[in-house]
Amino acid sequence: MSTTVTFGQEIANLLQEAGGTPVSACMQCGTCSGTCPVGDFMDVRPQRLIHMIDAGLKDKVMATRAFWYCASCYQCTVRCPRGIDIAELMYGLKRYTIWKNQYPADLIGPAFSETFIKTIMRAGRSYEPVLATSYFFTLGLKEMLSEAQNATMLMLKGRLPVLPARIKRLENFKRMIKRIIPIGD
Amino acid sequence: MSEQKQLLIIDDDPDFVDGIKSILTKGNYKVDVAYTPKDGWAALEKNKYDLLLLDVMMGRGAEGIMIARKLGKDVNLREMPVLIITSIREQMAFLFPGGAVHPNFVNVDELVEKPVEPKLLLEKVSSLIKSSESKKKKK
Amino acid sequence: MTPKKFAYFPGCSLEKMAESYHLSTVEIARVMGMELKELEDWNCCGATAYFHVDELLAHTLCARNLAMAEKEGLDLVAPCSGCYKNMHSCNAHLQKDHDLADHINFALEEDNLHFDGKIKVHHLIEVFCEDLKEVKAKATNPLTGLKVAPYYGCQILRPRKFEHENVEEPRYFEDLMTAIGATPVDFLLRLRCCGGALIITNRQAALSMVRNLLQNAVDSGADVIATACPLCQVNLECYQDQVNTEFGTKFSVPIFYFTQLMGLSMGIPAKRLGIGTEFLSPPPAMLAACRKAAVV
Repeated sequence: MSTTVTFGQEIANLLQEAGGTPVSACMQCGTCSGTCPVGDFMDVRPQRLIHMIDAGLKDKVMATRAFWYCASCYQCTVRCPRGIDIAELMYGLKRYTIWKNQYPADLIGPAFSETFIKTIMRAGRSYEPVLATSYFFTLGLKEMLSEAQNATMLMLKGRLPVLPARIKRLENFKRMIKRIIPIGD
Repeated sequence: MSEQKQLLIIDDDPDFVDGIKSILTKGNYKVDVAYTPKDGWAALEKNKYDLLLLDVMMGRGAEGIMIARKLGKDVNLREMPVLIITSIREQMAFLFPGGAVHPNFVNVDELVEKPVEPKLLLEKVSSLIKSSESKKKKK
Repeated sequence: MTPKKFAYFPGCSLEKMAESYHLSTVEIARVMGMELKELEDWNCCGATAYFHVDELLAHTLCARNLAMAEKEGLDLVAPCSGCYKNMHSCNAHLQKDHDLADHINFALEEDNLHFDGKIKVHHLIEVFCEDLKEVKAKATNPLTGLKVAPYYGCQILRPRKFEHENVEEPRYFEDLMTAIGATPVDFLLRLRCCGGALIITNRQAALSMVRNLLQNAVDSGADVIATACPLCQVNLECYQDQVNTEFGTKFSVPIFYFTQLMGLSMGIPAKRLGIGTEFLSPPPAMLAACRKAAVV
């Protein structure tokens, strides 16, 4: 553990460039938890998560699933009386755990993000059937069947693409990305 | 004994910073630390450093690259040697598996990947400062 | 009067999954005398996934689209709430942060593009709501007797765009529905999230969120829910069956894009609005309008 920087400070640093109010401004009023439509499904509600960050409980925060369940609806952000951009904080935490490759292994969120981005890097546009493969096998039999039923229905209605879309200036596009993330040949 | 050289580390990972800072301090360098790109830039504008040790993935994303580019365009700072220390390949492994890191479009003198061997770190720092000084003398 | 002209960013969903949204948009724009010029070679806005990995990358991908619209000298319009939110916030960030814009422009050079921050970004529904008088004038086949739950969802409104904007009590969707002769119902959960991508990453949560919305729409007496986002449409419609299985409910609430309803009210034949590709058929009041539209 670092002697100079607390975990709360580290998260504040992560969000500094985005210009948000730090979580230390939180007065624990609970508006975020009360307003969150996913709150019932979170292992830790936003208000408590913020408290945990502020208290420097790094290991507990890293093991939390709550921020991967954030639907980015921004209701908390809009309502926070202290002006903390909570949805942005959730994104920040997702980023933090992805960079450190530390998140509960059974979460679908990170795998979905990664598949999504890989698809875009290859083609410039997204393609639903490829995305489906990233989570299809994580489903139970019942869900798998109903998902297949949905797909069949969409196909019959002409709503599923047969071929992946691709942008035209794909080579420029790929070089453009490498100026931001300088990896690859 | 020659004058103590002054270094700046810009890196968001406090544990990693603690590690290399103690190595560099033991190697008789004076070390400043900034944990965010913004604080880092402020330090660069305020003080004069002999070398910058720069992380890549910070804050919103690959912000280290942004700093390196900005340095290259700054008449007062562009002569300062920059050593990038990164684990970007690991952090973005899923995206470009096996790809090499190649910030060849920015003014970076050397790049090493984390974790860094103490001996290698000290060698790189010392040789970068030396070659920068000899360049200055030639002018 | 010169016709309004916009750079149109359809987004990935409208290419196929939500093609009816695209078709109906094109149709009503024509009737409204609005020119939508599809952005040539647009790329994916990143949905919500890029921000998990690298925000600078997320901004770069949106900025490419913004720069292309700038090149055309046109404001950008997006029918998908997710695309709209990403593009709108990228525009705002880059306009404010010059270092960021400079760095992103360096990347855009690879595609011979440049971001200057000279254009605005609108959601499709905004540009129609700006001219309700004209909408009303064109609605020659009004949707009389159709009770509509106007579903705003999240990202049209949030995060807050302007200080003076009312993000808690908007009325424009209701006013738009009134303008086309329909009756907007008091839909309490109209600003509540549909679950978005959680339908993939946390199905239990998303299904429960969809159930709450459907229940509230039924309770408010709605015949249909009108949406302004392809993800909301898919979640509310295609997962209704699963909601019914999961919770023992018997929902059968048709979900249409506001553009499809507008199109019908303008007398455009149902097929040209993509009506017929939905899972749940239109209610009687809509079918009556469909029959009249085919004649008109």
